[in-house]
Amino acid sequence: MSSLTPDELAREFDGFMTRGGLTIPPGRRATVLASYADFRAQIDLLHGRQDHTGEPAHIFATSRDGDA
Amino acid sequence: MDTRDLSIAEMGRALRSGATTSVQLTQDALERVKAQDDKLHAFVLVTEDLALAQAARADAELKAGSDRGAFHGIPYALKDIYDTAGIRTTCHSKLRLDNVPPHNSVVAGKFDAAGAVLLGKLATHEFALGGPSFDLPFPPARNPWNTDHVTGGSSSGSATAIASRMVRMAMGSDTGGSIRGPAAWCGLVGIKPTYGRVSRRGVFPLSWALDHCGPLSRSVEDSVLTLQLLAGHDPYDVASVEMPVPDYSADLNKGVKGLRIGIPRDFFIGASATTHDTLAGIDRTAAQLREAGAVVEDVKLPDYALFGAAGRVIMMAEAYAIHEADLQNRLLDFGEITANRFVLGATVRSADYLAALRVRRELTDAVTEALRRYDALLCLSALNTAPRFDAPVDALSSGAPMQTIPFNVTGHPAMSVPVGLGADGLPVGVQVVGRAFDEAMVFRVGRAIEVLSGWEGVALPA
Repeated sequence: MSSLTPDELAREFDGFMTRGGLTIPPGRRATVLASYADFRAQIDLLHGRQDHTGEPAHIFATSRDGDA
Repeated sequence: MDTRDLSIAEMGRALRSGATTSVQLTQDALERVKAQDDKLHAFVLVTEDLALAQAARADAELKAGSDRGAFHGIPYALKDIYDTAGIRTTCHSKLRLDNVPPHNSVVAGKFDAAGAVLLGKLATHEFALGGPSFDLPFPPARNPWNTDHVTGGSSSGSATAIASRMVRMAMGSDTGGSIRGPAAWCGLVGIKPTYGRVSRRGVFPLSWALDHCGPLSRSVEDSVLTLQLLAGHDPYDVASVEMPVPDYSADLNKGVKGLRIGIPRDFFIGASATTHDTLAGIDRTAAQLREAGAVVEDVKLPDYALFGAAGRVIMMAEAYAIHEADLQNRLLDFGEITANRFVLGATVRSADYLAALRVRRELTDAVTEALRRYDALLCLSALNTAPRFDAPVDALSSGAPMQTIPFNVTGHPAMSVPVGLGADGLPVGVQVVGRAFDEAMVFRVGRAIEVLSGWEGVALPA
């Protein structure tokens, strides 16, 4: 699961919506936020699984997302 | 003659022997639609005049000795995301209510050329994702086994139309399980062929990397005949692969003696939604396959959660790319469930999408490796039987009950086959997975399960 607090998760979500030019009706916000929390946890599962040994073309990230 | 339970092959024989006509088959089917669809809502459009004209032409051609093959004169229907020339194609959405495509999808064109009879266009979850919903231009299709229960989606109307005997075969599409899920929950056969096997040109996309076209049908044989017609290379579908198409009927009834079948039991054994009925269904199937001479043993695959995560991230990113402009400008014209799901795609970063593609390769390699040791894999199609409309589960959540998305991620052919009824009287399905482009083996194992389970003797809802 994401280490973000619910407030941080909500701010992150709002940032994505703003950047995408999307307006979520207030009455739907809680439902969509709950889905986002679950979706964000699924996204997190995908990161940090590959290093150079898994990249025969030597195209790989040198650090995990969020690392310096 | 009573035509409602005739298979495609039986209808074909009856047409050629003169025992029935295509017009009769079509009128019978239209009568069944008229009698039931007010409560089941399988169709969003019935093309009665066209169907009767196509049927009359098929009869005339057959009478004149011109035979176009297995589908000549056979009624069928299309999920309403398949373009049909001059016939409204809505994606079950307010956004495309006036869409009348000028051209057929490749699939519709193949049925046309084969002399098949189009009964109409079928309900779907909006844009093959959002549903079941009550805020769309058409009501959601209902499960003929119990109309208080959902069909599963997104090929909801396809499943309803077949399970209620309106039609023997209908086309669906499958991006995360939209053929196999409704097939499982409505007691039908549904195959997602190998990625690239059937052209998707002219079918409204949900996710380019995961979309597949395929049939739902009453029996394995019906699906065999359908895929035989539809499989083949299309140079204008970038995913299409130029591979020989074998005779899918050749080994269909060879049984499973000597075959090796692996069960990725960890996929479902610890999942909270798994029920006694579905577990009993797959265990019973495994025992029947062993009794018939197959070697059946558990196999380890990567965590199910990884398959789900990779599939959903790819799907939502691509779906968002398709619908971005409408989500920005007409969000309230989508159904609420659809919009709530699609906007999640705006949260996928490029690093997330690429991570999903990398994991996809890892998972595909793992399944391919397992299928070097096994002729087929066997798993559940869904962890449970069809839930009620008032107890929905988000199909995109990590807790979704479908077990189908792994093989959209990897592209391997996978088919749901019914194996019995749960204590609630609703169908249970298992899933057979094969090597890439080896649909023939999937059909062979599926046919054996169909026979061994005794499903052919189970009566559909009246």
